[in-house]
Amino acid sequence: MLQHIGAPCEPVVGVGDKVKVGQPLGKTQAFVCAPVHSSVSGEVIAVEDRPLVTGKRALSVVIRNDGQDDMVRFEEGDLEDMSPDAIRQKVKAAGIVGMGGAGFPAHIKLNPPKPVHTILINGAECEPYLTCDHRLMVEKAPQLVGGMLAIMKATGASRGIIGIEENKPDAIKQMQEATKGQEQLSVAVLKVKYPQGAEKQLIKAILDKEVASGCLPADVGCVVSNVHTAIAIYEAVVQGKPCYERVVTVSGGSVVDPRNVLVRIGTPIQALLDFCGGLLGEPAALIGGGPMTGPPVLDVYGPVVKTLSGISALSYEEAGFDVNRPCIRCSRCVRACPAGLTPNLLGDYSNRGMTEQVIWLRAQDCIECGLCSYVCPSKRALVTWIKKGKADCAALRAKERELGVSICK
Amino acid sequence: MQVRTGPFLRDTVTIEQVMGDVLIALIPTVVAGVLLYGRHALMVVVLSTLSAVLTEAILTRAPLTPKGIVGDGSAAVTGLLLGLILPHTTPYWVPIFGSFFAIALVKLAFGGLGHNIFNPALAARGMLLLAFTSEMIYRTDAVTGATPLWSTGSFSWPLFWGNVGGVIGETSVVAILLGAAYLFYKRHINWRIPVSCLGSAFILALVWGLDPWHTIMAGGLMFAAFFMATDMVTSPVTPVGELVFGAGCGVLTLMIRQYTPFPEGVTFAILIMNALTPAIDSLTIPHVFGVGASHKDRIRGFALTVGIVMVLLGALAVIENNEPRVRPLISDGHYLPMHELLGDPDVDVVEVNETRYYVVRDEEGDPRRVAFIAERNGFNGPIRFLLLLNSEHRIERVSVLKQGESPGFGELITRTAFLEQFVGLDKDSSFTAGKDIQVISGATVSSRAVISGVERALERFDEAFFGVDGPGTLNDGTFLGQAASFGGPLEVEVVVSGGKITSVTILRHSDTPGFSDPAISGMPERIVAANSAQVDVVSGATLTSEAIMSAVQAALESTSVGQGHELELDPEALETLLPAIIEAQGPVEAVSGAAVTSGAVHGAFRDALNIKEGQ
Repeated sequence: MLQHIGAPCEPVVGVGDKVKVGQPLGKTQAFVCAPVHSSVSGEVIAVEDRPLVTGKRALSVVIRNDGQDDMVRFEEGDLEDMSPDAIRQKVKAAGIVGMGGAGFPAHIKLNPPKPVHTILINGAECEPYLTCDHRLMVEKAPQLVGGMLAIMKATGASRGIIGIEENKPDAIKQMQEATKGQEQLSVAVLKVKYPQGAEKQLIKAILDKEVASGCLPADVGCVVSNVHTAIAIYEAVVQGKPCYERVVTVSGGSVVDPRNVLVRIGTPIQALLDFCGGLLGEPAALIGGGPMTGPPVLDVYGPVVKTLSGISALSYEEAGFDVNRPCIRCSRCVRACPAGLTPNLLGDYSNRGMTEQVIWLRAQDCIECGLCSYVCPSKRALVTWIKKGKADCAALRAKERELGVSICK
Repeated sequence: MQVRTGPFLRDTVTIEQVMGDVLIALIPTVVAGVLLYGRHALMVVVLSTLSAVLTEAILTRAPLTPKGIVGDGSAAVTGLLLGLILPHTTPYWVPIFGSFFAIALVKLAFGGLGHNIFNPALAARGMLLLAFTSEMIYRTDAVTGATPLWSTGSFSWPLFWGNVGGVIGETSVVAILLGAAYLFYKRHINWRIPVSCLGSAFILALVWGLDPWHTIMAGGLMFAAFFMATDMVTSPVTPVGELVFGAGCGVLTLMIRQYTPFPEGVTFAILIMNALTPAIDSLTIPHVFGVGASHKDRIRGFALTVGIVMVLLGALAVIENNEPRVRPLISDGHYLPMHELLGDPDVDVVEVNETRYYVVRDEEGDPRRVAFIAERNGFNGPIRFLLLLNSEHRIERVSVLKQGESPGFGELITRTAFLEQFVGLDKDSSFTAGKDIQVISGATVSSRAVISGVERALERFDEAFFGVDGPGTLNDGTFLGQAASFGGPLEVEVVVSGGKITSVTILRHSDTPGFSDPAISGMPERIVAANSAQVDVVSGATLTSEAIMSAVQAALESTSVGQGHELELDPEALETLLPAIIEAQGPVEAVSGAAVTSGAVHGAFRDALNIKEGQ
């Protein structure tokens, strides 16, 4: 019932109910929320707390699959005839969230607080190992173009740009062909660079505009969407299909047969791994997402959710871990940081709980891309510490609000 | 399976690789040092490296296996760096003790790798400079940072390749650049610190009127800019901080060179900047992505910074103009604090004919006390000495700075007993070897070289400040002159026309054929070209050359006699000369040591006889 940022859904089915594919299972009246739909047909056997991949627990609806795949009837639509509001309604009903990992409900994004002139599609897919967006761009280019047009119509933007890193020439070719004849759409070829797919970095790379700290892309007249999300929007708007399946990359040196899998939401990770031939021995790390930003998989029986873009099972040869040797102040992390922070100091202060300094060094601007830890010759757990520091900052701010005082500036 | 946090991919670079690359980058400098200075230099470098590695291994109780001893390689880097910034003549205990100090006190006592405030190698060198100055400075050859007295050119190839005396690793610029290029390629250092360090020194040198190329290439600045200032642990991590740090190092280096007795300022400059590193870091936290600072703001900030630096440099230049510019100089390993030698802080530096005179002036601006360095070819190459003149321009002190004479023989010219003979003499004194000045037996040639060198230096000083005997004042005519030479008297004929010497002919000499030939054939040409009797001797025929010069001088002075000018004649010489001439009814051998007088008497006789004949 929680596959997005915001309030969890409330179950609208009970134990014993028969459900069909695409039937809503949970809804809520909260503003920041997206409904969840059944991905199989069958019988609800439990509504209970279940562990997610990340080890967190969430209220889940457990369905016994009858294998019939009975579908609810989808309401098809015509983009030409629809008002922006109607598009948002359909997107909301389909339960579409940001499928790159953020999980922000798409219908809210389609209603930007400020006028927007450009929509950007993030085809950079800079995270190593993940290739699902790449495959989607190659295989579903027309749908992606449709999705872009739908987003443009909903947001009132006049142009759409898809940014693709130059190491994906086939995707660039496909998208250039698909956008041919549409003057408002274009393909921006980007240099290969991590972390280019982060929203603000993508805007900087394509439009050379910096989104100020604490501001949204809309402040510079942009909306950024993930490739998979745009395709889901197209399918929701034109085919009326709710978000009950997605493409997941299963990759890493420990996977026998790595591939991209179109999988129903709710499938256990273990089943996904089994489909890919299982694992070669014990992986050094099993990650829910890409190896740079993804969290470790703590429960292999946890379900695939809308935001899960990949499963990476790294072998010991490819994985690297924290050793935490002393910092030699080589400043590699400072040079690498896309947010322009000083991770060596930030990491140290965070680790020591010196929250005031952490705020002063603007920890809240950290995008947690992991580059600082990656480049560190001392293999320090910089990102881990900075995440902790950010949490400390948030706690401090919350306390300030609660007490109505300012503990630090 | 263990649960860990991301990122799960890591770059393969490790501390060991970083340190290993620094060691590789230092190889060219080590090779250059060993080629230039030989085995002793190699031993110094090896000992300092071993001492550093073992100190760390023992003090950190590392497992005493090869791998445990080498550790992360940072100790080896420190030791090697220290070895490379020691003078090549240093005794073996210096690198051993220095490395121990660097590792034990500067590095490990502060918490080991990454925690030290100061660059360990530089801190050790600073300690050695202060505590064992004689092992560090006095053994350093010619040019350690201070503008060397003998440099004339601007960009100097010898400095670039490294064949000038100095510290093992600091002298070969090409080797330093080679190593630095490797570090750049491996991305362990970036351009900011070296460029800002050398750039600021270059600009400041221009502002101060020093030779900028020499400033950055001589001494330790180049090596330090690439290998010391860029030390990761002790330099700032922020890009702007790196620029500030580098500029601070460059400016402080020049200020220390200029205002303190230390010949090389880079050691203390970098140590001071090391201490400021945390402050610089916290003041220059970089521009956070998306926070203020547009492109325009950054340009404005940059312009502001440049402006402030320029104003500061301008202020320094003004201060500089009001301060005495003379600082102690190090020449040939001798420490020469010019103010102290001259006993006055207000010292002028005047350069005339490639000699630098350090002058204390009286109220009228005439030289009161003077110190300068002169040179004369001895038996084995040049003998360089310092002359100190008192207020009457009499010699107060002569010190030999450099000589390569034979040990046990020519070398004796450095003895106080010999040099004290010059005290009290002035340009008008007689400098006859063996008579006025006792020659050291067994070191005749060397002694004579010093004697004639001092005499000539005094003459040149006189010429430089009181301008007598300037060219163009000679009277036309043909003159004869004579002087005593190695094998007996030597006679020359000098033709002056249009106030200039147009030809010099050697009429008679009895010097050893073969040895004297180069002088006989070469000297006349030189004298004509210089329009002066004072020219450089032909090497290998020093004595003959000098005799020719004396004879020419005598001939030129004889004109003065002929024109009725007064000449101070040596009465003793006249007493022996005049009867001899009468007896011989013609020219006789010049009185040894009184060539001028003899020449003048002969000239006068000839003039007189010519007049008689002409009647």
